[in-house]
Amino acid sequence: MNNYKKNLLKKRYNAERRFQWYGKIAIGLALTFLAVFMFQIFSKGYSAFQKTWIVTEVHYDKELLLIDAESPSKDDLENADYYDVAYKAMTSLDPGLPEEEDRQLIQMVSYKYETEVKDLLLKNPDFLGKIVPIKLTASDDVDQVHKGNYPRDIPEKNRRVNDYQLQIYDMLNERGDILSEFNISFFTNPDSREAELAGIASSFMGTVFSILVCLAFSFPIAVLAAIYLEEFAPKNKFTDFIEVNINNLAAVPSIVFGLLGLGILLAVFNLPRSTPLVGGITLSLMTLPTIIIAARASLKAVPPSIREAALAMGASNMQTTMHHTVPLSMPGTLSGTIIGLAQALGETAPLILIGMVAFVNTIPGTPVDPAASLPVQIYIWSESAERGFVEKVSACIMVLLAFLILMNLAAQIVRHKFEKKWS
Amino acid sequence: MSKIIAENVNVYYGSKQALFDVSIDIAEKEVTALIGPSGCGKSTFLRCLNRMNDVIDICRVEGSIKMDDLELNSRKLDVVRLRENVGMVFQKPNPFPKSIYENVAYGPTIHGIAQSKEEMDQIVETSLKKAALWNEVKDRLDEIGTGLSGGQQQRLCIARAISVSPEVILMDEPCSALDPIATAQIEELIDDLKKEVTIVIVTHSMSQAARVSQKTGFFHLGKLIEFGSTEKIFKNPDKQQTQDYITGRFG
Repeated sequence: MNNYKKNLLKKRYNAERRFQWYGKIAIGLALTFLAVFMFQIFSKGYSAFQKTWIVTEVHYDKELLLIDAESPSKDDLENADYYDVAYKAMTSLDPGLPEEEDRQLIQMVSYKYETEVKDLLLKNPDFLGKIVPIKLTASDDVDQVHKGNYPRDIPEKNRRVNDYQLQIYDMLNERGDILSEFNISFFTNPDSREAELAGIASSFMGTVFSILVCLAFSFPIAVLAAIYLEEFAPKNKFTDFIEVNINNLAAVPSIVFGLLGLGILLAVFNLPRSTPLVGGITLSLMTLPTIIIAARASLKAVPPSIREAALAMGASNMQTTMHHTVPLSMPGTLSGTIIGLAQALGETAPLILIGMVAFVNTIPGTPVDPAASLPVQIYIWSESAERGFVEKVSACIMVLLAFLILMNLAAQIVRHKFEKKWS
Repeated sequence: MSKIIAENVNVYYGSKQALFDVSIDIAEKEVTALIGPSGCGKSTFLRCLNRMNDVIDICRVEGSIKMDDLELNSRKLDVVRLRENVGMVFQKPNPFPKSIYENVAYGPTIHGIAQSKEEMDQIVETSLKKAALWNEVKDRLDEIGTGLSGGQQQRLCIARAISVSPEVILMDEPCSALDPIATAQIEELIDDLKKEVTIVIVTHSMSQAARVSQKTGFFHLGKLIEFGSTEKIFKNPDKQQTQDYITGRFG
């Protein structure tokens, strides 16, 4: 082999090696970005899954509860006055405190502490007249102090937790009366103005309903459109025109669909605003072209020999399509659908326009109840100034990501099942 | 006796003419081989016989093709009925990606041939036996048809084609993707089948045409150059072109 050839060969190998390195660097960069992003979210968000409780003692005093009956019924307990009992439970933490300063203690627990006192007795009616320990939800400020997110060294007047409250907190903490437990209420509570009570139940359900509505509207329409266009429609200028328009539709910014939802679904059809029904239909406008394109591509990918085989057996066009082509294209169509839904899942702008950004403190039971959605919830919380919401934003992102991963996993499983059957 | 009589068949793909005035008589329960170089129109002609050219938008067929006095090249013809009577086996084995059983049962199912499960089982068994595949697959009818070897797949396609008891079977280079052993099996099969069915086979292999067919037609550039008994075509053709092709001087 002469020198020229040797050099050429060396160059070719070097070019390949260089190219492989470019690829490795690109993947490395992508993974680094992902890792930074994930670290950012997890390090900020993990503490939202912990909830801080303050343990104190409550005396269910019949007199203070204003219960007269000898053996009170459930109704009597329900209608009793818990204000004083709950108040005393908190002030008993520091009996020496002058009465006009009591608010400082009350502020250390959530404003729903009276309800918590009531619920405990309703659950255990035999506590009546007894002194029992009780767990009360700590206020978000105490919660943040306990999680170490709140700097203690800034001047008192700039702090939401004053020196006296810190002192009480330290005392309770030393006694072991500050508890940290898994934050169930983050998943079961609707949104709230108070960070310690705010949860994702309403936005989660809103997202679930929106996605279901979106699927119910977009999937059948898109699949039928794709089948007709691909298998039955004559190939002419008009169908080309339709195809161009569908492709354009897929690239339209989502906020435009939001305006469409606002202008048509809400203004013309008078559908209930802020609901997953409207949100889902609006999102399905976005998902529709994505599914049509994916379904057409996977129909196109079915080998023509299968169509010929069926036609040659005397199957009609319809039978060929329904018995062979469509089932074979289903895995591709389904994964396209999932991609479309995943896009819709993270969509915020159109939902804001149709009013799903409203503050909703109830959990929706049906698609026509007002609800938020997870990405909108992230948007709402990220605008809140309170420190307690910072970790909630990250936690909500984590839930959204988990939702996405679950969906993709489901898609993979469904896909796998179909493919097993067909190949 | 003639099964199919084609007269002056012209086929156009758009403005390009693919067949020129082809007239041919295909005899019943015989094997007719169509030979010729690539692109000579033999497959196009074959696809006229079960109207598979309908799938191609730009394809236009002129002339008359009669099967038992039924005009095939007519708008009024019910192609679904026609294809029930005229089966087809393709160049590349194309079983459905379904079980072996479902592959064979598909035709009888859509045409409502079997009334009961037992009847269907019987049809599947007979078809697979006729296709000389039964012994190899009888214990694994639930397995997927595309998992078989190439030769088995092609025999499965033949079983699928004969499951609806067609009068004619068209074969478009059925052995071109197969090894010599599988080819021999298919050729044996063709020999058996011709007792009941009329077979038209397009082939690139002249030795195959010589082995399996009784009549042979030689196509060149869209024209039927010569048609006659296989013996005559191969031993003593009338036309010089045929002679040249047979002896391998062109094509």
